[in-house]
Amino acid sequence: MSAVTHDIPEEAGRESFWRRNLHFFLLAPGVAWMVLFLIVPLVMMVYVSFWTQTTFAINSTLTTKSWAAFFGSETYYGALIRTLRLWLTVLVLTFLAGYPTALFIGRFVRNKTLQTVLLVTCVIPFWTSFLIRVLAWRPMLGKEGAINIVLEKLGLISGPIEVLLFTELSVIIGMVQIYVVFMVGPIAFMLARIDDSLIEAARDLGATPLTIFRKIIFPLSLPGVVVGAIFVSVMVLGEFATASALSGRKVNLLGNIIVTQVGSLKWAFAAVAGVVLTAVMAVVITGLLRLVNLQREL
Amino acid sequence: MMEIRGLNKSFGGNIAVRDFSLEIEDDEYLTLLGPSGSGKSTLLRLIAGLERPDTGAIVLDGKTVTGTPPHLRGLGFVQQKYGLFPHMSVFDNVAFGLRYRQIDPVSDQRTVNDRVERMLELVGLEEFGDRMVGEISGGQRQRVSLARTLICEPRICLLDEPLGALDANLRERMTVELRRIRSALGVTFMHVTGNEAEALAMGDRMIVLDAGRAIQVDTPHDIFSRPANVQVARFLNAYNILSGSGQGGAFETAGARLAMPPGVSGAVHYVFRFDNVAICDPDSRGQSGSAQMEAEFIASEFLGSRVVYFFRRPDGGVIEAEKHLSAVDPRGMRQGEKRILRWPVENVLLYGKGGGMLRHEPVLEVAQ
Repeated sequence: MSAVTHDIPEEAGRESFWRRNLHFFLLAPGVAWMVLFLIVPLVMMVYVSFWTQTTFAINSTLTTKSWAAFFGSETYYGALIRTLRLWLTVLVLTFLAGYPTALFIGRFVRNKTLQTVLLVTCVIPFWTSFLIRVLAWRPMLGKEGAINIVLEKLGLISGPIEVLLFTELSVIIGMVQIYVVFMVGPIAFMLARIDDSLIEAARDLGATPLTIFRKIIFPLSLPGVVVGAIFVSVMVLGEFATASALSGRKVNLLGNIIVTQVGSLKWAFAAVAGVVLTAVMAVVITGLLRLVNLQREL
Repeated sequence: MMEIRGLNKSFGGNIAVRDFSLEIEDDEYLTLLGPSGSGKSTLLRLIAGLERPDTGAIVLDGKTVTGTPPHLRGLGFVQQKYGLFPHMSVFDNVAFGLRYRQIDPVSDQRTVNDRVERMLELVGLEEFGDRMVGEISGGQRQRVSLARTLICEPRICLLDEPLGALDANLRERMTVELRRIRSALGVTFMHVTGNEAEALAMGDRMIVLDAGRAIQVDTPHDIFSRPANVQVARFLNAYNILSGSGQGGAFETAGARLAMPPGVSGAVHYVFRFDNVAICDPDSRGQSGSAQMEAEFIASEFLGSRVVYFFRRPDGGVIEAEKHLSAVDPRGMRQGEKRILRWPVENVLLYGKGGGMLRHEPVLEVAQ
């Protein structure tokens, strides 16, 4: 009798433990995926960056030679500086081009359906592949490209503007066009969420439209700006295709360095550039997240 | 003083406000009662300048302000949804108008501090200046919204259903608070509500709005005791309204002939207050000076200090009788029991075909 009464709570306890924690199994596929394809590769990348690289082979003897070479060579840390400069330029330009567009869609288009239609319109360039979108800029910007021909025919210039293609400028033009939509979307979304009663209240309290924008609309859209900036930053920092296609391989970003090093089987060196790039992204995202408290705003 | 003359506004063929005229005095509490869809919010937005009228004029201190933008009218507007700025603290919300208004902004931080603190004290939120508006309760938000408007010292403060989002308990407290704050500042309040008790309790004067038209403007006492219009009587939710026709000293309504005040012809609505109805035994004798009708008890509703009894008329309609428990004890009746309902003929109000009142002598005093 006593054995039976002893068994029952034990059984119940075990069952409720399983019941209580069963929902964690929902995480299993995600966790397995992330460990296999994110955590392990990240750890490997850091590890490999300390391996010893010889011309045609690599072995796991630990050394800091690759790191020293990276920061000792103008070519490589120059690429880091160039990547940062290009990222900042593209970020500022996508913001300057994207914010007014988002402001128009989010605050001046009153019809929700039309808002959605306009946002989808922004995504139309994405219906073609990334490479085609990049390469399409060549016949636009080239010496005998569309822009130069039109300007010459209009008599605005006598000779072609050569700076348009195979320069840092062409890379910036290409990247801004491709990534601006990632800025427009989140900002338009935040702007559309601002309750009209706030604007009316501010108007009634005597604020001018400019003050209302500065003190109410812009601060409330800031979370959208930050999300957009994170999207753009992550994509621009990791870029290599636009840079190589539109600069004629003259503009080398960290991404390009990784591609060439991997191509020539310099794994350790590619890993160093990868770790640096990952660190830069982490710093940038952390910095952007500090600007606003996204948890509170979204 | 503000004068509103013949305001009209329609939205795509739907008339929202129809030929509305009103004079608003300085230092008064005006309530505007109307059911939803009666155009009361539109009217408020027209006065505030958030909408433009189709025709009509708004004159403030002798100056026409019909086309003036809201912030140049010197009016304050407290929105139903409060419209607080979620990214600012309570203090910054209240200070907004002082700091950022186009005309005469206050840049001196000390003056802003002083005035905001005084205003927060007036609305009882002196401890809450540093809180974000997401961290305070509904009643507190209401008061922040009010303080934010009042700090700009508007001539008239418009309140759009200010108590609508509050629970009953808080609503009663804010009723008293609003009156106190108003008289402390001497600002005119124009308070829009769909709740008849609120409109009666708060206003110095009261406007009853129906289908975009003001159908009565008077003191709450006069509106309650002598509704000018059968529609007003209906909104007050304190009158039994029977339809039929009155001829030769009797009112014919489905299933009954009721005694009615003499000397009136053409009555189509026969109206008497819930609390004028006496509930008598079925075999009791008729009394001179009262009208009576046999009715069947349906149910009663206990409201704490009073009880409302519902009776079914011979034609199927409902008659309500209200008894205050300080005067009579509650009585138990079974459903379906017959009773004779009696009410004094002199207190009956009669209304004609257009809904207008047919008898204008004062007939009763409001019970205390």
